[in-house]
Amino acid sequence: MKRREFLAMTSAAFTVATPALSKAESAISKAEIIVVGGGYGGATTAKYLRLFSNNKARVTLIEPDSQFISCPLSNLVVGGSQSLSDLTRPYDTLAKRYGVKIVKDWVSNIDGNTKTLQLKSGKVLRYDKLVLSPGVSLMMDSIEGLATANSLGVTIQAWKAGPETLTLHKQIASMRDGGVFALSIPEAPYRCPPGPYERVCQVASYLKKYKSRSKIIVLDANSDIVSKGSLFKKAWADLYPGMIEYRPTHNVISVDAKEKTLKFDIQQDVKADVLNVLPMMQAGNIAKQAGVTNANGRWAHVDFLSFESTAVKDIHVIGDSTQNAQLMPKSGHMANQHGKVAAAAIIAQLRDWPVNQHPMLTNTCYSFIDAKQVVHVASVHAYDAKEKTFKVVPGSGGLSPEPSVLEGLYAWSWARNIWSDLLG
Amino acid sequence: MKTSVTSILSAWSGIRQFRYVLLIVSSSVLLCSGARAQVNTVDQLNRASLAATCASCHGTNGVGAQPATLSNPADLQTAYMLEQLLAFRNGSRSGTIMPQIAKGYSEEQLQTIAQFLGKH
Repeated sequence: MKRREFLAMTSAAFTVATPALSKAESAISKAEIIVVGGGYGGATTAKYLRLFSNNKARVTLIEPDSQFISCPLSNLVVGGSQSLSDLTRPYDTLAKRYGVKIVKDWVSNIDGNTKTLQLKSGKVLRYDKLVLSPGVSLMMDSIEGLATANSLGVTIQAWKAGPETLTLHKQIASMRDGGVFALSIPEAPYRCPPGPYERVCQVASYLKKYKSRSKIIVLDANSDIVSKGSLFKKAWADLYPGMIEYRPTHNVISVDAKEKTLKFDIQQDVKADVLNVLPMMQAGNIAKQAGVTNANGRWAHVDFLSFESTAVKDIHVIGDSTQNAQLMPKSGHMANQHGKVAAAAIIAQLRDWPVNQHPMLTNTCYSFIDAKQVVHVASVHAYDAKEKTFKVVPGSGGLSPEPSVLEGLYAWSWARNIWSDLLG
Repeated sequence: MKTSVTSILSAWSGIRQFRYVLLIVSSSVLLCSGARAQVNTVDQLNRASLAATCASCHGTNGVGAQPATLSNPADLQTAYMLEQLLAFRNGSRSGTIMPQIAKGYSEEQLQTIAQFLGKH
């Protein structure tokens, strides 16, 4: 067979296999779908909107950063065993391989009535479907003096991976041996429930190696460790004996930047050399501006079948900004799962198909207790039609029995795979 | 000399044929993976959506990134994958996360997943 004949034959086969452009397909290729935020949730949604529409949907992803930096695993950068470049991936593949249009910009205003959004650059974009995945914003006003202390460089959060992550590592690295690192944790819900406790492990791992006379004080507004409690407590006792002091029910109300001191409702002040103060969190600012934060003014209520806002039609909200169902964590993995349910629902709506009535979600979260050993928590969530929410499937999920290096290898494999799942 | 010219020509012809074989094989792979990824009905969308819950750990359509430590579902035969998923579910196979995850899905859902991601 000549090459030309072969190509003609295969091209004919493709032509025959391709169904005629139906009305629904035409609607899908005409709809403007805009995704705001290129994190674990937004990037996933953009990619799966293309996959689930046979690459017909017009998808624009608006993201101000030029590269993706993973929050999961970024505590390893705080502890000094990894660099930010290990957690950084490009957005290019989403555009080149999957045909997502990427716009590097900020969204400054959303108007749900006119279905338009304005970019910081001044451009106005029209949408038929909008997906918001803006993560969390930090409620700096919830702690008196925190904004000032931050501006003076006395306190830092490093709760979004990036330059602050490196700054926090440098602060710890330049702390005197015998110094105190204080980490304050807000009342749940907040982004990444086990994250603060994993950070304690990573800082302890660094201090044990380089400044073994130093101390860590954990000031938790919650009455106990929020996630993987028994595993973290055991790791602290086994690996870092005498170094970590855990103080539950300690809610920071103000920061004295001059004295490097944290103040509480009733307990004694705490003075430290490095202050990592995490305030309460809420949905990303743009969600609030768009009028979708109808859960106590902090989070967005959504219809869990489609992740469409219950406040504004045709705006879907996914990831950390949503009012979570019971036992649904604000995690990168969960945002990635939300994104796929939202993408499938949007494609179904545009094609005039019924939206899936039985969506499923999984969550896995690995925490490093030193540079190599890991513990996990996992869960499976099924939609409950009667209560219109997701519930953990009885008998599913659980914790690691103990830390292991094997799970450390799995954690890195998970990271490579989920980055590939959301970025191409 | 003549022999060597003949063998060179014969080898060249072999290479050309091999190129066609490669083309056919790669096209078949494309057609197969394309067929799996095609979403032309609501059932296909729901199946793809269910299988996509696995992709967070195992990669899109069961193809993980390299170097792979977690298994690549796309490399497994459907029947074998289903057998393993059911073994995780009923507790006859141990593991770290998979037994905890498999218990969250019905047998029918695991069958759909294996059918979607595995090799037939």
